[in-house]
Amino acid sequence: MSSFLTYLINGISLGSVYAIIALGYTMVYGIAKMLNFAHGDVIMVGGYTVFVICSTLGLPPFVGILSAVVVCTVLGVVIERVAYKPLREASSLSVLITAIGVSYFLQNAALIIFGADTKSFQNVINVPSLTLMDGQVTVSGVTMVTILSCALILIGLTTFINKTKTGQAMLAVSEDKGAATLMGINVNRTIAVTFAIGSALAAIAGVLLCSAYPVLSSTTGAMPGIKAFTAAVFGGIGSIPGALIGGIIMGVIENLSKAYISSQLSDAIVFAVLIVVLLVKPTGLMGKQIQEKV
Amino acid sequence: MAEQKKNMLSVESLSISFGGLKAVDNFHIQIKPHELYGLIGPNGAGKTTVFNLLTGVYKPDTGSILLDGQNITGKHTIDINHAGIARTFQNIRLFGNLTVLDNVKAGLHAHYTYGMLSGIFRTPKFRKMEREMDQKAMEILKVFDLDGAADYKASQLPYGKQRKLEISRALATEPKLLLLDEPAAGMNPQETQELMDTIRFVRDHFDMTILLIEHDMKLVSGICEELTVLNFGQVLCQGETKAVLNNPEVIKAYLGD
Amino acid sequence: MKTKTFRQNAVTYGIVILFYLICQGLILSGNMSSLMKGLMVPICYYVILAVSLNLVVGISGELSLGHAGFMCIGAYASAIFAVCVDGKMPEGLELFLALIIGAAITAVFGFLIGIPVLRLRGDYLAIVTLAFGEIIKNVVNAVYLGVDENGLHFSMKDSLSLGLSEEGLTIMNGAQGISGLPRTANLTIGIVLVLITLFIVLNLMNSRQGRAIMAIRDNRIAAESIGLSVSKYKMMAFVISAALAGVAGVLYSHNLSALQATSKNFGYNQSIMILVFVVLGGIGNIRGSMIAAVILTILPEKLRFLSDYRMLIYAIVLISMMLFNSAPKAIEWRKSLAERFARKKDIPAETAGKEAR
Repeated sequence: MSSFLTYLINGISLGSVYAIIALGYTMVYGIAKMLNFAHGDVIMVGGYTVFVICSTLGLPPFVGILSAVVVCTVLGVVIERVAYKPLREASSLSVLITAIGVSYFLQNAALIIFGADTKSFQNVINVPSLTLMDGQVTVSGVTMVTILSCALILIGLTTFINKTKTGQAMLAVSEDKGAATLMGINVNRTIAVTFAIGSALAAIAGVLLCSAYPVLSSTTGAMPGIKAFTAAVFGGIGSIPGALIGGIIMGVIENLSKAYISSQLSDAIVFAVLIVVLLVKPTGLMGKQIQEKV
Repeated sequence: MAEQKKNMLSVESLSISFGGLKAVDNFHIQIKPHELYGLIGPNGAGKTTVFNLLTGVYKPDTGSILLDGQNITGKHTIDINHAGIARTFQNIRLFGNLTVLDNVKAGLHAHYTYGMLSGIFRTPKFRKMEREMDQKAMEILKVFDLDGAADYKASQLPYGKQRKLEISRALATEPKLLLLDEPAAGMNPQETQELMDTIRFVRDHFDMTILLIEHDMKLVSGICEELTVLNFGQVLCQGETKAVLNNPEVIKAYLGD
Repeated sequence: MKTKTFRQNAVTYGIVILFYLICQGLILSGNMSSLMKGLMVPICYYVILAVSLNLVVGISGELSLGHAGFMCIGAYASAIFAVCVDGKMPEGLELFLALIIGAAITAVFGFLIGIPVLRLRGDYLAIVTLAFGEIIKNVVNAVYLGVDENGLHFSMKDSLSLGLSEEGLTIMNGAQGISGLPRTANLTIGIVLVLITLFIVLNLMNSRQGRAIMAIRDNRIAAESIGLSVSKYKMMAFVISAALAGVAGVLYSHNLSALQATSKNFGYNQSIMILVFVVLGGIGNIRGSMIAAVILTILPEKLRFLSDYRMLIYAIVLISMMLFNSAPKAIEWRKSLAERFARKKDIPAETAGKEAR
């Protein structure tokens, strides 16, 4: 029972990271109507930034985290501007292939800069762990911080979208780009802001992910990225609470299947969940139906 | 029942709503074989939605559609085409990367068949069928004066010819009933005149029943024998062209109060 | 029109045969390095993979990111067969049967995977093919298969749980894969398979079925309105493409003595690499993807100093090709450029006319 609880809590923690990443996917998909395949690799960039600042330069953790957020935000906006913006009216096939190219580019640039060997990531979150149920269950500091950050981010983001002008503009653009333009909303700027927020979240996710699983390589972000996308689809693409629920379910499924079924097959199980969700309920738990106009 | 049998198309109490809005409400129409029938109405009256219902793009909430006595209500688009309805689209939908000839040959798909392996191994049957398809397709293209452009990519054609190609492609499926969605949209008066002649020729030459949506009153009054006027998703008026066009309610719907 | 496509296809076959004659000449005269010799069979299976992926991406218009997964199925199916019949039949017959078995089993998997995949569209379809590709690789790595006088033994745990008798033979050993394979593939066999692949794909494209597949790609709603069955023809392209990838897998497994499924050979990265061939050669352009596959296989080996940057260059190629080919602004720019060239050509003609007057 206690081991189950440990797996469950770790699953929720991993799921919180997925949720933070999934928020980036879901916002970009909702607003730019594209699958930003490179989103996962932005996480990796965040991880390396912290690594360079804290381990190589020896600066304090908060400087590392802050730099990661700044670097990823800028990166996200640059990627959008250079690779995606020119293709806004192009077919979804070309946009997706471009996004795959960007993902590949980031991975291989990191490979060249940092080498093929994995770096061991120094934990930047120094919070004591918590012991529950007479020492049967231990919750690490990282786990608590992760779950807490996820909750804070979700509250912050919801408030931002509902209470600020930019947030409302984002909603409008996701609803109808043409109409939003007519209402005087700067669509290009709104999309850029969305990428900026998504990438900043990816940086935070990178820090949390690398603190919990302290190995860093050029492909660190790829798998979590795909799984977070799965989570976003599961929750219903475009929906913010959906990303949270989807992320946590995904993390719990992954951790429990690793523990009770097979660690070798846990990825396969996560992907199988994705396939089933897309077939049974392609709009996800909280998504809405879109009909093609004839 | 006996009377319905005589009709090529017989639609009763057809309705569909989208999120509470009744897009088409209690629509009904009877079209006799060989008739040239017009469906008119102001913008947003639900004309294209009627086409989408007739061709199975949307499933109706209520109502029945009989084509030549056969019930096609709620069937899939593909089956409805096989049953004998072909259409064109308001916003042209051609196979842009295929040649003009191949667009029409795609329409002939169901009538000239050979298996996949026949095609891969270039059997005599493949050659014979392809030759016959080429002939038939060119025959149809000639009607629309497109035979000279057979080897062009469909997307390279000028707008007016694209509309004609869409009609050719629909004709290639050998329908009993042809639905034309604003065939003259974007054409100049001379082109419209030519198109009117072509449509009439198609009806006589291929022995076809035609239902067309049109904005151009001249086209409608020039060739349609009967009209149905649609307003806010409902049938406003139905009957012979002249009578309908002189109906004060129709004039009001078109010109406003 | 007919003669034009015929000529085009003849050129494509001609290029393959010419390539074969040159390579075979170099090999027989002893002028080919052992490095290049080692690339001959890979070139063939990469060409097959690129051409077959183009059938789905270019001809059918769906982005598949799991092509390497089908290659994996073909490789494993044929490797299991090869190990089972090892020494019991002549090599040539073994390879021939392995090809048929590899293609058939991959086709079956292509069909089964196609049922759910082809119900989806666009981005979702792409991500699900990726998921299937990864599932195939993961499952293959977790399977243990052995044979003894009591028949086949199967386990998902480890080779010991197979419970084989002393005479028994472990065929699939989890992540360690399959060993003891016959290395019977060579350039000639590879080229024959490339030609067969081209024959199937090019002839399919110019048939009634190919026309339907491309019509559906260009406009799904219009295709349905003229009675074309979208699911049938999408499936046709998907299954044929999968089967051909399976053939490439057979070629792959018969070029090695031991087969393992890693992320490098059967993973997502491999699928992307094949996609790069297709994009660089031109989406929908069969000859192009063939040439791109050959060049991108030879080039990194020839330019060793580039090998570190190879993947990075692929990424840049992918992005710039898409921007150049699909961005509305780039298309406009290319059009205006083409017009300017056309005008330049016209000017001398005009002046010539004036002079004559």
